[in-house]
Amino acid sequence: MKQNVGKIAVEGKHIVKDFQIGSTTTKVLKDLSLQVARGEFVSIMGPSGSGKSTLLYILGGLDVPTSGQVLLNGTDISRFGDEKMSRLRRQKIGFVFQFYNLIPNLNVEENVMLPLLLDGKKMGSYKKQLHHILEMVGLSDRRKHTPRELSGGQQQRVAIARALIGNPEILFADEPTGNLDSKTGAEIMSLLQEINQSSGQTIIMVTHSPEAAECSSRIITVQDGCII
Amino acid sequence: MKIILKYILTNVKERKTRTAVMLLSILLSTTLLFVSFSISASYESAQRKMARGMAGSATISVTAAKGSIKLDVLPNLPSIQTRVGILEGTALYHENGYCESIDLIAADLAQLKQINPPRLIDGGTLDNFSGNQIILPDRFTSKYHINAGDTIALQLGGTPIRLQVAATAAYDTVFLRHTRGANALLPPSTLAGILGQTDGYSKILIEPAAGTSTNALKKALEEALPDGDYKVSEVVNEAQIAADARQKSMPFFLISFFALTMSIFIIYSSYKVITLDRLPVIGTFRSIGATQKAVTRILLLESFFYGGMGGLIGIPVGILALKLILQGMGQSLSQGIEIPVVISPFSILFSFVIAVTVSLFSAWFPVRRASGLPIKDVIFGTVEEKRHSWGFIMLLGIVLFAASVVLPKLAVGNMLYLAGGFSLLGLIAATILIIPLLTNLLSMGLERLYGRFFGNEGRLAARNMRDNKNVQQNITLLFISISAVIAITVVGSFVTTYVSDVFKGAELEGFADGKMEPTFVEQVKNMEGIEKVLPLHVYKNQIQANGITLSRLEGTDHLDWYRSMFALHETEKGMIEQAAPAFYKERSILLSEDCMARTGFSVGDSLSLSNGTTQHDYLVVGSFKSRATDVEAVISSSFTVSDFGASAYAFLAYTAADPDAIIVQIRDLFGETPNWSRTVEEFNNDALATVGAFLQPMHSLTYLILLLAAVGVINNLLINYIQKRRNTAMYKSVGLSNRQNTKMTLIEGFSSGLMGAIAAIFVSYMEIQTIFLVAGPKISMVPDLDAAAFLTAGCMGIAVTLLGSIVPIIKGRKMKLVEEIKFE
Repeated sequence: MKQNVGKIAVEGKHIVKDFQIGSTTTKVLKDLSLQVARGEFVSIMGPSGSGKSTLLYILGGLDVPTSGQVLLNGTDISRFGDEKMSRLRRQKIGFVFQFYNLIPNLNVEENVMLPLLLDGKKMGSYKKQLHHILEMVGLSDRRKHTPRELSGGQQQRVAIARALIGNPEILFADEPTGNLDSKTGAEIMSLLQEINQSSGQTIIMVTHSPEAAECSSRIITVQDGCII
Repeated sequence: MKIILKYILTNVKERKTRTAVMLLSILLSTTLLFVSFSISASYESAQRKMARGMAGSATISVTAAKGSIKLDVLPNLPSIQTRVGILEGTALYHENGYCESIDLIAADLAQLKQINPPRLIDGGTLDNFSGNQIILPDRFTSKYHINAGDTIALQLGGTPIRLQVAATAAYDTVFLRHTRGANALLPPSTLAGILGQTDGYSKILIEPAAGTSTNALKKALEEALPDGDYKVSEVVNEAQIAADARQKSMPFFLISFFALTMSIFIIYSSYKVITLDRLPVIGTFRSIGATQKAVTRILLLESFFYGGMGGLIGIPVGILALKLILQGMGQSLSQGIEIPVVISPFSILFSFVIAVTVSLFSAWFPVRRASGLPIKDVIFGTVEEKRHSWGFIMLLGIVLFAASVVLPKLAVGNMLYLAGGFSLLGLIAATILIIPLLTNLLSMGLERLYGRFFGNEGRLAARNMRDNKNVQQNITLLFISISAVIAITVVGSFVTTYVSDVFKGAELEGFADGKMEPTFVEQVKNMEGIEKVLPLHVYKNQIQANGITLSRLEGTDHLDWYRSMFALHETEKGMIEQAAPAFYKERSILLSEDCMARTGFSVGDSLSLSNGTTQHDYLVVGSFKSRATDVEAVISSSFTVSDFGASAYAFLAYTAADPDAIIVQIRDLFGETPNWSRTVEEFNNDALATVGAFLQPMHSLTYLILLLAAVGVINNLLINYIQKRRNTAMYKSVGLSNRQNTKMTLIEGFSSGLMGAIAAIFVSYMEIQTIFLVAGPKISMVPDLDAAAFLTAGCMGIAVTLLGSIVPIIKGRKMKLVEEIKFE
């Protein structure tokens, strides 16, 4: 593990999330608080509908809590405006989704470089970094392929490379093996574990799979909107 | 069945915007189709009315070979419904230098009302019409500020006659005419007194009894009347009427064609999204045992609903639009011709059937594909868009495009229409096939360009357009819409010019029609500011060629000016130039193409021209067509003088720095001599007053097609948004801000608009070439291709696309990111 373990990477304080369905209000997260230290690999588990994905999206700034705070390196991001939040996503956060969410008409290279391109960076200046990251995820020979030309496992590797290209402080993963067979899922988990261990990358992952959760250093269980 | 109907109705209700857009597109195209059909029929009816003019419902005219004809010479045939004796005379009206020829008509009012009742402008009836009274058309009275009760003076054979205006009539029925001047109605006894005619009529008009054909009655009359004493003829040429109406209806059919093409594309693209949306439901249906056929039927039933509803609402809307359009024309009734509203059951049924068929046809392909997908793929959501072989599609597109351009140039006769239809459809289809590659190529170029100007957002926006089906679809619809607007505008403005400006392309700026001695012409030549003066000897029905009377023969001393003044189009290039040297020295004659078709003469023939006293042989050295003159034959004026003893001129054309100033002086020179002298501008204004009513509906319908185009583009942008919503969410999840999204969406919208506009401008130019190639043999005029019309339509297309981008931008701002990206 890297030396900076112990400092708080992200902290949720009294997070409440309500959903309005018709006239009924459903409380998905009920005054939930947690801390994740830098360099930690945390798994969030829980039954379907427990609120684990909602918690991940709120911590990662893709959703906002009804009340409570999300502190990223001590800064409350829960009330950030669009411009600030977008910059945060480009520079400090990486996200890996269950369904990869790759842009279908962009090739591997372009998909990976997307956060940097949106940040105004020149593709040419990041060739080395791109090469290194594609080597790491094992896709150097697929750089000009479009997502439809890749397998599910390969697409998820592209998504991981995209999440890491900007050197984010935290990597969020929502069921990264949920759409893959067990062998490919295991490969993806060992890749995430390697990333965490070699570079001290903080990872917060939502998973249903106990095998996947075993790769993490801590498991948080959410049930009925509370951490148990 | 009940459950399925409920399912369909729920779908329709839940997707309100899409339902509204689909219904609107079918409704608009049904309305356009219905209106264009009905207007064509209305035009034909008006054309028939105009051609019949004074004859009304009478279809046969009987005249005496010599002198007048009495009503009682006609046999009492049961096939005769009505017979009306018509007395005719001519007079001149002279005011402020203007001379107007008046055709005087007299008939028993009670008889006339049976075949052609005159319509008074105040809506009243005329009971006591006798004595020195006259009824004039409003078009004439308003021009000379004459009111009912006024007394006017007419010149008849040099004698002035004073008549009191009894009433003003609408410019139709007996007052309709094709030539200059006006028709006036007098009591029979008054006109007979003026003409000094004691007995009989100039002609008898006959209306056949119900169930009797004009031809049968004509035959019966020819058999019953003494041979050679009377001439029985048909009042109008029905084939000619239908041909004239067809020519005026051309823009309307073009409007229908584009409306249908757009509708097919709108419904097709909507159904592609609908079926994609319904894949889970299709999967459910299939998994519980529904056959492919059953799923197809369920989905098609929904499209039948759209077609049926669109048709049912579109036709009443069309009837309303038709009435509004024709009522709008009614306001200029007094100046123009009343066009009746003709709504045939056929056009109602046809429009409805087309609405349903178009809806079903457009939905068929995506529905058939969706219901035929493997059940497993549908249930697991692993359906992928089919990849096509671009090489083959491109080749097909290029071959089809080339064939569409070349075919009308090779076809002749009736095949030309077929080739024209193929070409119009082929050009659109070929462009649809080529657009994906064109988009890819252009977006590659734009990627570099935008990268320089707009940074990475510009580069990404251009990159996003590559291999993007939504963008390709958007560009395609935009291309169809813009090209429709361009083609209809150009053809519409051509028809306006064609109908209202017979002197288009002709150099003359003014003319004088009247007896002019050489000294008169010399005086005109000496007028200040005059440029070219072309005096002509004119023989109307006085010269015979090989025994056939020529309706108009003219003699000129300047063939080159004659050609430019009247915009003569030679049948073969260089024909007239080659003939010019011999034209003045040897007896040569030029014939109009119409004359050649009528007489059977051809270039190289030797014709014997005779005026009844002398006879000379002339060689046909060339042929031409011209809209500016109805002359049949042209010879050198040196021969009109030497062979036929011409001295005074009867027509003069001129160009001048100030044509108005010259015409005033010419009128002054004529003094009391009857003449018809006009500048081309004055003539065109008069013509436009008559045909203006005809042209108005075309302009109204152009707005409807613009509306349909806008609906189509907005529909596509909505579809585009629905399909790229997830893409936008993916971008936002990796850091795309709202500002960046706005920038990228606008760049993408602008680029799509630009590509659509470029394709449309190019293809509509080709379409216009095809349209005029097909219509070309019938017309002697080339269309004006105004670059501004092309560019304006292109800019409007870009503007609509940019406006349509506003909704996706706003929706993108309000997007719930998690909902969009969490599930596939």
